[in-house]
Amino acid sequence: MEEHHRRNQILTVIAVGIGLLFLYGAQEYATSYQIRILNNCALFVILAASYNLINGVTGQFSLEPNAFVAIGAYTSALLTLTPAEKQLSFIIEPIMWPLGVLHAPFFISLLAAGVVTAFVGFLMGFPVFRVRGDYLAIVTLGFGEVVRVVANNTQTITNGPLGLKGIAPHTNLWWSWGIAIITVFFIARLVRSSFGRAMKAVKYDETAAEAVGINAFWHKMLAFTTSAFFEGVGGGILAHLITTISPTLFTFFLTFNLLIMIVVGGLGSTTGACIAAIIVTFGGEYLRFVEEPINFWFIHIPAIPGMRMVIFSIILILMMIFARNGIMGTKEFSWNWVLNKIKPVKIFLRKKP
Amino acid sequence: MDFFTTKNLTMKFGGLVAVNDFNITLEKGEIVGLIGPNGAGKTTVFNMIAGYYPPTEGAIVFQENIIGGKKANEITKLGIARTFQNIRLFTELSVVENVMIAYHCRIHSTFIGAVLRLPLYRREEKMMYEGAMEYLREVGLDDLALEPSGSLPYGKQRRLEIARALATGPQLLLLDEPAAGMNPNETQELLQLILRLRDNHNLTIFLIEHDMKFVMQICERMKVLDYGTTIAEGTPEEIQNNERVIKAYLGEA
Amino acid sequence: MEPTVFAQQLINGISLGSLYGLIAIGYTMVYGILRLINFAHGDVMMMGCFFAFYGIMMFSLPWWASFIIALVLTGLLGVLIDRGAYRPVRNAPRISALITAIGVSFLLENAGLVVFGGRQKAFYRPEIFSEVHTIGGVRFLELLIWVPIITLLILAVILFIIYKTKVGRAMRCISHDMETTRLMGVDVNRVIAITFAVGSVAAAAGGIMWAMRYPQINPLMGIIPGLKAFVAAVLGGIGNVAGAMIGGLLLGLAEILLVAIRPDLSGYRDAIAFAILILILIFRPTGLMGEKLPE
Repeated sequence: MEEHHRRNQILTVIAVGIGLLFLYGAQEYATSYQIRILNNCALFVILAASYNLINGVTGQFSLEPNAFVAIGAYTSALLTLTPAEKQLSFIIEPIMWPLGVLHAPFFISLLAAGVVTAFVGFLMGFPVFRVRGDYLAIVTLGFGEVVRVVANNTQTITNGPLGLKGIAPHTNLWWSWGIAIITVFFIARLVRSSFGRAMKAVKYDETAAEAVGINAFWHKMLAFTTSAFFEGVGGGILAHLITTISPTLFTFFLTFNLLIMIVVGGLGSTTGACIAAIIVTFGGEYLRFVEEPINFWFIHIPAIPGMRMVIFSIILILMMIFARNGIMGTKEFSWNWVLNKIKPVKIFLRKKP
Repeated sequence: MDFFTTKNLTMKFGGLVAVNDFNITLEKGEIVGLIGPNGAGKTTVFNMIAGYYPPTEGAIVFQENIIGGKKANEITKLGIARTFQNIRLFTELSVVENVMIAYHCRIHSTFIGAVLRLPLYRREEKMMYEGAMEYLREVGLDDLALEPSGSLPYGKQRRLEIARALATGPQLLLLDEPAAGMNPNETQELLQLILRLRDNHNLTIFLIEHDMKFVMQICERMKVLDYGTTIAEGTPEEIQNNERVIKAYLGEA
Repeated sequence: MEPTVFAQQLINGISLGSLYGLIAIGYTMVYGILRLINFAHGDVMMMGCFFAFYGIMMFSLPWWASFIIALVLTGLLGVLIDRGAYRPVRNAPRISALITAIGVSFLLENAGLVVFGGRQKAFYRPEIFSEVHTIGGVRFLELLIWVPIITLLILAVILFIIYKTKVGRAMRCISHDMETTRLMGVDVNRVIAITFAVGSVAAAAGGIMWAMRYPQINPLMGIIPGLKAFVAAVLGGIGNVAGAMIGGLLLGLAEILLVAIRPDLSGYRDAIAFAILILILIFRPTGLMGEKLPE
């Protein structure tokens, strides 16, 4: 059915290979600041691609990723911290019994983060998918708030507002990008399968989808739970990247960032979400200067924290008014498209001599 | 046991009785029409049979399954497919994808199998694609398989919607105004198509239509609704000569 | 619980609930007409507080003049937001409008951080509201008595506008069928602008009373009351102005009384609203007043 399937697979493998080579170079020679940005890119690729699965592909506009990331981050951090470390940081109230003694290697903790988050997402799906549209948005937003409030108050599990400190910095470029590639691979393949088609059917016309035998509810659940799984894994990556987590980290602000990414990428395009995640991450770094004090000759402008978010909010509003389809619309990156773009150049070069 | 039967099917919206005591029995292989003036409750009957409205009262039995109150997708799986009055295609997706989506309810792969492209899934994906192309050939759209379905002209969208309904593997097909907006030529083609599909797939067809010439030609039997109540039933000839039907359509003189 | 404590909590609950209700009115009016959750509504309320704050602190206006000017400015801000952000996406898919609203919300919050700074600012509470009364062992701030009274007055004015004026009739028509109303020669955009103005003024009034109560303000203060007011609007049946007020009162009382009965759960106070929301949507998706939930 797809043209040049084999060739495209080979091209993908080559591209990934080049990417890994680049990462190797970065790991060896880049500054720690550059490495941090690259890690952030991978993290946001994971989160944006999985957020797009439910919001973009399945068309169920929801606002809960901050909750999922939080659950994943806490789960994996509680597993990689040693019992002794946990005893030390839980100073107000001691940690709950099985959590205090559990200990697992990083990979297992990531897997557990995914599974626990997916399970929460699965349970949450039953009430939230009774509603649609704006209501779904507000209920999932409320869910995000509830998770944050719970994290603040369950002293014996999350250590409350103090959060968890001293998490081992396991996340390096191999981990972050490795997980990012697996996530994108999994989600892209899911979207391109019969299940992905069914999800799109639910997005475009739920009534018609049910008329052709698709169980809209279960396909929303599938997208939501899968999304939760990878958001949770992303949370684990995040926790072991920044090494300190607390409830204030997982506000709606995080969801807002992801929302900008999937909107810029084009709601519904997995590759678009990935590209946008990288652009927005770099863009955020590039725009850092607007929040720093500026001394230009005799003009002195003091530091203005928050200015970047002002710019991002304006970009989001303008995109909704003028460029609703984002970079990719609902299309996906494809080698056929790239090669077709290159073809005229090749022909031109061949003609010349 | 009857192939399909409804008993005292009634739908009330608040105080309004949209359909009152609707009884019909369909035999396998029949083509039966449902006609009546606008607002008579025809589409409401379809919506009850297809699972969009749970009937207020009454029962629907299809091949010994009581389906009244079941959800739309479950009813489709049991073998009742429908088209919509105002064509509802997935217009952003290609023609062949529209039909393949209808195959989804018939596959056995899990989503993990689909992601890993396990042999079962590959076989089923191939089956879906080839099956979809086969249906498209039958309705004459196979050469447009990769076009976006929204770009098709109106008549072809109608046929695509029928192909999509067929891909769910139905035994009973509900067609809601299949000839609406078609010119006489297209209507004749559609008529031939419906007869051919019925024979090829052992279908029973229940259809709503306003185009009287079309209905009289294609249906073996028909029912007439007015204000939710059945006012007549019988062969096309009987209906054409029925006083109450003429009154309902022309109003009291 | 002792009767005096109960009475005290009742007063607290009613005044808190009135404020939720006032803010909820704006949500419910806009939703009734545009089917849009105005995410920025809580932030509009915050802006109202800052207008009042700067009126007093920078321009040394008497408090009442400053409050009135703040109400007017907030009403204008509501109109401006509609004109600048929502009107251009009015015919776009619903999701685009929702995303725009989220964008406006973030814009106001962060612009607030940039312009006003992130630190808490003490809000001026006029002397006439500051007196503490003790009646039969129940101690309360005078303000808490005024809050429900002022709220009821504003509610009465809004209900008058909706049911007794020409603009109000146009609002009700638009909420039934915008296209037909337009065809009838009603300037739909003007009516929508007025709706935004009215809703924003109500929010500003609620916000200023909120600010006097606590009495401090910051640019992120609108988020949580905004979300809870939305829950109140759903509770009362979205689109129903009187219902929004009742929903607000119920929510305020539920929060205060639950915490009074179970002080150990006080940390979960902010989660109560959402727990209620989820329960309503499961068991009674039409809201307590029985309005239709839109698809």
